[in-house]
Amino acid sequence: MITRRKRAAAGWVLAAVGAIAVIAAFGTGGAGATWQAKSYPRSQTLITSGTQWGNVVSMNPFNTATYAAGTIGLVNETLLRYDPLHNTYISWLAKSTKWTGPKQYTVVVRSGVTWSDGKTLKASDVAFNVNLARFNTSQWNNLYQNLKLPIQVKGNSVIFSFKGTPNYVQWQNMIWNMPMISPVQGKTIKTAQELTTYNPHNPVGTGPYKLDTSGYDVTTRVVWVKRDHWWASDQKVAPSPAPKYVIDLVNTSNTNSLAAVLTGVEDLNNNYLPGVNKLVDSGKVQTFFPKAPYMLSANTAWLEPNTTKAPLNDPVFRKALAMSIDVNKIVSDDYQNLVLKASPTGLLPTWSKYVNAKAVKTFGFKHNPAAAKSMLLKAGYKTDGSGMIANKDGSKIDLEIAVPQGWSDWEAARDMIIASAKQAGIRIHAKVKDYNAWQSDRNTGKFDLVVDNAYQISDNPWTYWNGIFHLPIITSGTGQTFANFERYSNQAAWKLTQQLDRTSPSETATIKSLNNSLQTVLMKDVPMIPLWYNGIWAQMTSKYWTHWPAATGGRQYIPAMWRGYLQMTGIDTITHVKSTRQATGG
Amino acid sequence: MLRYLLRKLLVYSLTFVVAVTIDWSIPHLMPGNPVLTLMSRIQIQNGEVAQHLYDSYMRSFNLDLPLWKQYWFFWVSLFHGDLGTSIMQFPTPVSTIIVHAMPYTLGLLIPATLLSWYVGNKLGALAARRKVLDNSLLPVGYVLTATPYMWLAILMSFLFAVTWQVLPVGFAYDPTAGRGWSLSFGLDLFRHWLLPFLSLFLVSCGGWAIGMRNLIIYELESDYAHYLESLGAPRKLVRKYAFRNALLPQITGLALALGAVIAGALVTEIVFSYPGLGYQVYRAITNQDYFVIQGIFLFIIVGVLIANFVVDIVYVIVDPRTRIGMQEGGQA
Repeated sequence: MITRRKRAAAGWVLAAVGAIAVIAAFGTGGAGATWQAKSYPRSQTLITSGTQWGNVVSMNPFNTATYAAGTIGLVNETLLRYDPLHNTYISWLAKSTKWTGPKQYTVVVRSGVTWSDGKTLKASDVAFNVNLARFNTSQWNNLYQNLKLPIQVKGNSVIFSFKGTPNYVQWQNMIWNMPMISPVQGKTIKTAQELTTYNPHNPVGTGPYKLDTSGYDVTTRVVWVKRDHWWASDQKVAPSPAPKYVIDLVNTSNTNSLAAVLTGVEDLNNNYLPGVNKLVDSGKVQTFFPKAPYMLSANTAWLEPNTTKAPLNDPVFRKALAMSIDVNKIVSDDYQNLVLKASPTGLLPTWSKYVNAKAVKTFGFKHNPAAAKSMLLKAGYKTDGSGMIANKDGSKIDLEIAVPQGWSDWEAARDMIIASAKQAGIRIHAKVKDYNAWQSDRNTGKFDLVVDNAYQISDNPWTYWNGIFHLPIITSGTGQTFANFERYSNQAAWKLTQQLDRTSPSETATIKSLNNSLQTVLMKDVPMIPLWYNGIWAQMTSKYWTHWPAATGGRQYIPAMWRGYLQMTGIDTITHVKSTRQATGG
Repeated sequence: MLRYLLRKLLVYSLTFVVAVTIDWSIPHLMPGNPVLTLMSRIQIQNGEVAQHLYDSYMRSFNLDLPLWKQYWFFWVSLFHGDLGTSIMQFPTPVSTIIVHAMPYTLGLLIPATLLSWYVGNKLGALAARRKVLDNSLLPVGYVLTATPYMWLAILMSFLFAVTWQVLPVGFAYDPTAGRGWSLSFGLDLFRHWLLPFLSLFLVSCGGWAIGMRNLIIYELESDYAHYLESLGAPRKLVRKYAFRNALLPQITGLALALGAVIAGALVTEIVFSYPGLGYQVYRAITNQDYFVIQGIFLFIIVGVLIANFVVDIVYVIVDPRTRIGMQEGGQA
């Protein structure tokens, strides 16, 4: 006889089994679910996370906002790679690249490179890929407009001839960022729209890995499986990567990432984890530097003043504001020294060779609230009844500062900026905005001050100057979409920026001079205030993999899976790690 | 009966139109532009390129049209079964995102809701009968029902996954697991399902137990219970009637609670990195992904309305007064 208790127990079991069956049947039943489960041996699997927020949906390497982590780097490779730690270009799919004339650039394509479908990489494949920039949805379309057509292919060489002066900087940047896709797959792209919607089911590439369709689950992970042959290891250009599988997990939150790192679920995590320095100090995780600043620098976080609004349209006021901010306190108290204080030029450490120490000494600024206040008074600003700085006409100054809501490190920095500005008599109050409102107001100029970090590390400070000085300023519709959010209008500086882009890399003296001029403008006019360098957040664990990149020794690579970073030595991180078994000879 | 059902259907249809209109309006009226958010992740260096890309994306999502046209196209697409394309997960159709995520949410939600309702009511009824149980279960029930889903989820995650490491920390299965029909994969799914399930189950269970306990005590103090007792009816029989009567408001409560449980499931999924609709909607809201927000809330609206409709029908079956009322209404 079946008792009630037994019925209830049976109900529990049925409910659990039912739920699991529902999930198993449909939830994980994406493209590759199989009847025979194949698991990935942990000792052969490198697990990463910190790039993919939201589902893994795109295998389109041209969609640089959403492609699955590893698409560029592990599958689709670039002609060159760039090593920002040593400021060198690495010949990759191109055996060599050279400006063979003032308006001519030649790429010699490496021989012996095969696509994962078995075909050989040819010079015409490179031309095919550059030709995709003819569509105006390509981020390199402006460079394509300057090309003489057709692109010449001679043997293993691709010769690009330019109609006018080439944008040397942008072109070089393109060469190490443009992914090479298989023309067999890419021939389906016939319109500008199709370039954005291109999404191969199983991307064909020249890289060391290919997609493991049976393990790929849009909601959870992308699984890359090692190819039997990879040209770079066959030709002894790079070591054969030890991990047979690379799994990149969807990123859900910093808190979950911390738990995943602590429990050994992830080997490499690229999230900002507050307080990770304590884990490093206790030996639980590794970072690039064993001590402060722990992380390499990825971009400059700066305070953007709206230079079209009084009193922020006054360079004296902006400089005083810059002098009022105690960045050291932000670095030590907010970030626990996980970041570096920015130079007054804002130029990343990788661009330190461009920093003009003399100009910094003359025009740079240091934290000195008392000097900031007296500078403002000297410039004609008044004080109100409470001793705070007022406008020259005596009217009250109360600036608004915004950071995206929930970005806790920036929120803490914002509060410190408010507190330290108060020391100089500058009244600022916080305005809470969610990311979308923050971004919309920033783009359309509806702000006083925002903390921002729009431009990543690159091979040339031009990308940084372009972000600051780009003109024209769009005052209608969407406003500024990609640069000059501070709305700083300086035609001379913009001309210098354009000139830098069009200066041949061989003209080193001109390049130096232009960079000197631009940083001088920045420090004199302070259109934006450099604060600190955000890190290339990277935490590594040694439970399964060792030989991670480190500041000392021979493995100075960027330990990041972020989009755009694998071609900046991120791939070297993967090709150099060793399994703990391998490392111990087990 | 038919009239009753038709009336209910009409009410539900109107509710659907209003709810879906609100569902469409809220994301569209939020400040910000999702296409700009998408573009901010692309390293663009040139103004013309930025403008071309912006125009292309705006056209792709019909966002270049006036709001009234967007609203009209939304309904037209909806009747064609097209929920649109995700902005942040471009070019994935929203229906694909829902199909991938929905089983995880249903796999959590249905067992957690039904089992917590069943177990909670049973425990509440037991507590009303036995002093010892009442003294012990009642405070536990109060604590559980007052506990936010998210807080319990974080606590359980910290204890079971991080501190003791007896259960996994997140996701629906182990990152190294192969997906397929095998016992080991089933067990793996179960281990990952357990914590999010328990955090939903326990909070809901506490509420149901307290509700049932109070209702039973109320019913036992009612005139019909005293009358039965005075007639010499066995205590067990009196309690049985009390339980049946107490169950009716709990059925209504089940329908009303569905919305709250879904909200609870959403935050629970976020805490456990459980790849259901909760995580998707959270990402969609933070990125203003109109179409994913609309699609998922549409799914929730339809789910809640269907559940309410089912409860309405169940009510007719289990409550003779409703049936008699309907018959009298029909005769009148």
